[in-house]
Amino acid sequence: MTTSVTELLEEGGTQQLDTATAPSGEIAARSPLELFWRRLRDDKVALASLGVIVFLALVAICAPLVVELMGAPKPNVQNSKALDEFGSAAGPNAHNILGTDDVGRDVFSRVVYGARASLTVAILATAIAMAIGVVIGLSAGYYRGWADSLLSRGLDVILGFPVLLFAIGVGFACNTPQGCLGGALKPGISTVVFVIVIPTFPYFARIVRGQVLSLREREFVEAARSLGASDRRIMFREILPNLVAPLIVYGTLIIPANILFEASLSFLGVGIKEPNPSWGAMLSDAAPIFDTAWWFMFFPGLALVVTVLAFNLLGDGLQDALNPRAGR
Amino acid sequence: MRSKKWFALVATALLALTVVLAACGGGDDDGGGGGGASSTGEGGKKGGKLTVLNVGDFEYADPGAAYYQFDYMVHYATQRPLYYYRPDQTTQPPTPDLAKGPWKISNGGKRITIELKRGVKFSPPVNREVKAADVKYALERAFTENVPNGYVSTYMGDITGAPEEPGKYQEIDGIKAVDDYTLQLDLDEPTAAVTAAAFVLPASAAVPKEYAEKFDKKSPSEYAENQIATGPYMLKNNSSGKVSGIGWIPERSITLVRNPNWDGKTDFRPAYADSIEIREGAEAVSGARKILRGKGMITGDLTVPGEVVKEASQRFKDQLELPPSGGFRYVSLNATKPPFDDINVRKATIAGLDRTALRQARGGPAIGDVATHFIPPEFPGFQEAGGKAGTGVDFLAKETGDPAVSAKYFKAAGMAGGKYEGPNKKITLVCDDEDPGKKVCLVAQEQLSKLGFEPDTRFVPHDQMLGKYCGVPKNEPNVCPNTGWFKDFYDPQTLLDATFNPAQVLPENNSNYSQIKDPKLEEAFTKAEQLTEVNARNRAFADIDKMVTALAPAAPYVWDNQANVRSKDVNGVINQFNSVWDLTFTSLK
Repeated sequence: MTTSVTELLEEGGTQQLDTATAPSGEIAARSPLELFWRRLRDDKVALASLGVIVFLALVAICAPLVVELMGAPKPNVQNSKALDEFGSAAGPNAHNILGTDDVGRDVFSRVVYGARASLTVAILATAIAMAIGVVIGLSAGYYRGWADSLLSRGLDVILGFPVLLFAIGVGFACNTPQGCLGGALKPGISTVVFVIVIPTFPYFARIVRGQVLSLREREFVEAARSLGASDRRIMFREILPNLVAPLIVYGTLIIPANILFEASLSFLGVGIKEPNPSWGAMLSDAAPIFDTAWWFMFFPGLALVVTVLAFNLLGDGLQDALNPRAGR
Repeated sequence: MRSKKWFALVATALLALTVVLAACGGGDDDGGGGGGASSTGEGGKKGGKLTVLNVGDFEYADPGAAYYQFDYMVHYATQRPLYYYRPDQTTQPPTPDLAKGPWKISNGGKRITIELKRGVKFSPPVNREVKAADVKYALERAFTENVPNGYVSTYMGDITGAPEEPGKYQEIDGIKAVDDYTLQLDLDEPTAAVTAAAFVLPASAAVPKEYAEKFDKKSPSEYAENQIATGPYMLKNNSSGKVSGIGWIPERSITLVRNPNWDGKTDFRPAYADSIEIREGAEAVSGARKILRGKGMITGDLTVPGEVVKEASQRFKDQLELPPSGGFRYVSLNATKPPFDDINVRKATIAGLDRTALRQARGGPAIGDVATHFIPPEFPGFQEAGGKAGTGVDFLAKETGDPAVSAKYFKAAGMAGGKYEGPNKKITLVCDDEDPGKKVCLVAQEQLSKLGFEPDTRFVPHDQMLGKYCGVPKNEPNVCPNTGWFKDFYDPQTLLDATFNPAQVLPENNSNYSQIKDPKLEEAFTKAEQLTEVNARNRAFADIDKMVTALAPAAPYVWDNQANVRSKDVNGVINQFNSVWDLTFTSLK
């Protein structure tokens, strides 16, 4: 049981406490998890969003199966016969239910596989940024003093980077067969994840630092210290569990931003490498011919909007469910 | 909270709808009307500013090094080579430009004598009259390492004293300024016919030595940033002659203004427009559409993609021109390193490629026939090389590719499975990052994957693709899918020599991408180059076309027509030699 959640529930007054009457007549309090789930369950929009995200994740994981079940061609298969004599993209038809792109590749297939790229990059980058941000934020908030000053100023410098220019610069610099940083970054997913992590982790670090500054003064920390717990144990075993809720909420809100960031990088040509599908790259290729091949832009764009919206609404719902006072 | 969420949902839906409506909205202007382009350029209206939409920049801004279609478009407006072609001219001999009349060949084909016109002047700040010594210097500097010219060694390498490799500047004994207006060239071999024919190329445009040599001492030469004109236009410059940052902002724009020292009486060009602005960084589809619907614009190096060719041919017929380029497009295979150092692997790969799909990526049948060898239709030597039916090689017999023939050659290379199974599966490709080159590359990449390769592709700007990778042997990847070659002048040697002659591999600005070494082929080139009778030359180079095709250096996939578009209010004139709009004949209505 996390202290913060319990406190939230208690501070909310009797309204927060939900009770059930057992057959014997005793009143039993609901656990924080039950309360959380009850609030989330009442939020139909958040539930629907969760459903959409689960559906997208399943589609992404099972992309080959989905494509096969739908009878669609694989995403990189080019069917020149589907194009007209001028090489123009084909609209939705029996063989290509969402049409083709301008080299005869199936749009449905590429949208499905594009979900893999978007979700993989966004979730992976968010997770790595969260891990780095948590370590730095914990250290800065717990130790304070010169460590806090040094780390915080470092975060400020990174937050001052022109993010898009940095991403484009790294993307082009690493666009060689050898890659950069001794081959650690090669054109494609590794570079995209790197350029997303760098401007993202400072936000996590700052949030964590702020929470730690307050939590380190609490009695449970004092108690742990007085029992001889090491700093590391206090940070990771006592304080960190109290940060899970805000980290989950913030992470859920950061993921859609990172999905859009990846799409932007691919749109600019420094993201996922061809011929691997990416919603952003599809939008980029489709933009010049939108008026003659609307499907090529519409479907990846729709997928992007739905995904980003679902994560945003879920994040909103989680925040409400975990911190109901914030909505008043 | 709930109302906030619903508001977010509704707002998002409205926003998405607005975006879709905005993209779908907007009426299209129907084009057409106003008369077609005049093929001879007569009767144009003087004045106005012509705008050229371009994707890239110069490949070489130095007229001594320029060897690319767009570079020619500009240089033939600012420079006067010894000879040139009127817009509708498709045969030899060319029209005298800086020269007063036709060249004279003597001494058994080993001497060329050319008399220059009087009264042709350099632009400011040089201002003086052009002399024979200026043409001598222009030719000599093209042989230096600081001016990476890609063709002088091919066409003028037999001039007595011409360096075999690019090096420091030196006077060439075989080039003499007999007097102020007479140029004489002596050759070691009787190849005067082709050497003289090559004087249509911009390296023969006069360069003032006293002004240029300080720039030419730099490596590379900085003459491009300070170039002087002799033609009706010049790159806008300052009083000291600098054009960089003024008339030429790399990757952004090129501005041509009238050359105040140009005398129209000495020139056949009318030069109608007062100024010409070349805007770089255009996107192919939107740029072409903008031209069709806009005012005062023409295409520069912007290759009109298939979607716009379709639209133009249906709705803007009068604004579309499709002259034959007099060339071919091909997927080059680097034969200097595995896996394409094995001729059977090359043949197998070429047989496995669907060349109609490659052509479709550029616009389909409208842009030309699928190529079966290299010399294009209606060009000297085409019929002798087999015509449309081809030279008889089985790996180019089927336009859509032949898996059985491909498998046969893979087996001959020791791969029993009928696909590439060797240790060099990972192959590198360097491609254009703009359509239609990008589309062609994606098609090539996918087809190579099907043949068992693992392509690793880099997309780069066009000028880098050639100038940094495909045209520099030490950096060249395994495959260059976006290569094309067009005639240098109306002689089949110009299609095959720089591209396939084993003796013509240059360290920079190289056009022999396959770099195949074959002594018999080299011998055939040497013999053919010395022929002077036209029919004999055509037959000899047709035989070379067959030999080259049999060596499988590349997959030719289209003898293309070059799509050019113009705005409704432009009287566009195509120069058939360069297959693009002629800036000195095109005018505003």
